[in-house]
Amino acid sequence: MNRKLLLLCLLLVPLLLAACASAGDPADTVERYLTAKVSRDEATISALLCTEMEADLPREAQSFASVSDARIEAMQCSANAGADSVTCSGQIVAVYGTGDSASDVIIPLVTYRVVQEDGEWKWCGETAPPAP
Amino acid sequence: MHIRSFLLALLLCLLLPGVSAAQNATPQATADALQTSAYRAAALRTGPGDTYQIIGELNPGVQMRILERNAIGNWLHVARPEGSRTALDGWVMTGFLNLSPALDFGTVPVNSTLPDADLSRLDDDRLARLYAVPVIPAISPAMVEVYERGRLLQNQPTVVTKVGDSLSANPYYLETMSQDDYVLGAYGYLEPTLLTFGPSLAGGSVAARVGLSSLVVFDPTWADREQCQPGEAPLYCEYRLKHPAIAVIMFGPNDVRSMDAERYHTQMERIVQDTLALGIIPVLCTFSTHPDERFYWQSLAFNTELVALAEQYEVPLINLWSAARALPAYGLDVDQVHLLNSGFTFIKYDTGHESWYGVSLHNLLVLRTLYALQQTLGMA
Repeated sequence: MNRKLLLLCLLLVPLLLAACASAGDPADTVERYLTAKVSRDEATISALLCTEMEADLPREAQSFASVSDARIEAMQCSANAGADSVTCSGQIVAVYGTGDSASDVIIPLVTYRVVQEDGEWKWCGETAPPAP
Repeated sequence: MHIRSFLLALLLCLLLPGVSAAQNATPQATADALQTSAYRAAALRTGPGDTYQIIGELNPGVQMRILERNAIGNWLHVARPEGSRTALDGWVMTGFLNLSPALDFGTVPVNSTLPDADLSRLDDDRLARLYAVPVIPAISPAMVEVYERGRLLQNQPTVVTKVGDSLSANPYYLETMSQDDYVLGAYGYLEPTLLTFGPSLAGGSVAARVGLSSLVVFDPTWADREQCQPGEAPLYCEYRLKHPAIAVIMFGPNDVRSMDAERYHTQMERIVQDTLALGIIPVLCTFSTHPDERFYWQSLAFNTELVALAEQYEVPLINLWSAARALPAYGLDVDQVHLLNSGFTFIKYDTGHESWYGVSLHNLLVLRTLYALQQTLGMA
């Protein structure tokens, strides 16, 4: 009996691990999404955007169209325990205008909502950080 | 008795000229206030706008008389009577004239027959479509209803805010109206409006930011992290923070570089709809553009979309594009995108800035439109 149970566990554990692996890391999803957003990579944005926000795809893809040299500095994201959210530190930096009139645009990173759809983590907008 | 009569007559003779002078003091001052002259050569036109035919040049120092003004006061009808005939008679931009400190446009007759542009002299339909729109809008009855609905939603009747890109984020734009050291010059009739709405414009707006567009104003990524809630877009954040009765909205110079006219129309329509839904009067504004600029014709198409939206929703539209055509370089800075600042951190209209600097003109047009709203809506 014990051998059968052990065998079952041995079969289930890899399956569970495989399931977890396919869902990926929500923090990684957020990092990839934000990177795609500042670089206006519409294909990646579309792949990582949750269904609920599909209508916002044009806005998300063009968010940094008015600025140049958009990049993310010191990004570090980590999933929040017990909540479908990821909190990031770091900031988006971009330049508006050219020459003497150029000015920096700085946008700090915050907490983002993530949802699982078809076994994948998807970025789903901003949310409040979890209570300490 | 004769001596007393003589002394009384003498006393009256001495007093009467004084009485007479006192009686004439006010009309005389008014008449003097209407005297003017150009401080530099200025084009004299058949009407109040750059599309009207030039009929002569006003040389510096030539004494003229002000007959009437346009709805704003930035164009004046002047004439020089010589004997029984009029030697010079035409319209000139106010900023080219020496004006009496006693002049008050509130007492100058307003010409209500000549439109802001002479469309008969335009052979391009795209330009004619834009020029046909008055610089200062008439306030529709629909806006009265919006204002009253806004009052029920606790919107503040004396609060105005601005929504837009870097042109709106410019602290010289509208925020200068909050300063106490204003100098209105002959535009004194606008003082009650300035005092009513000016204080609400201090401190800027979280929905007016460098890099914003009509698309991005809905993106929470661009919201002010200190003042806005997580997931809240800049537009809604600003409206929640201020509860304004009026929002002056101008997008275009950024948008024209990243979207087509159809998308621009869609986005601006969404802004108008959402603003109206909150009982806030959206005041739209066309934007100035330079004919040498790469996106010139696209900019005209975008401005035409604004005209269509303003007509569809009966919302006020300030035609900055049209008014700025008469300014040097269309009121634009050397980058041909942003409006030129006068450099003064307060409202100053005693030295003709409205005829030289795009930001000064823009401020004046907004102030004049707020005046129209105040008159129509009976705002405090």
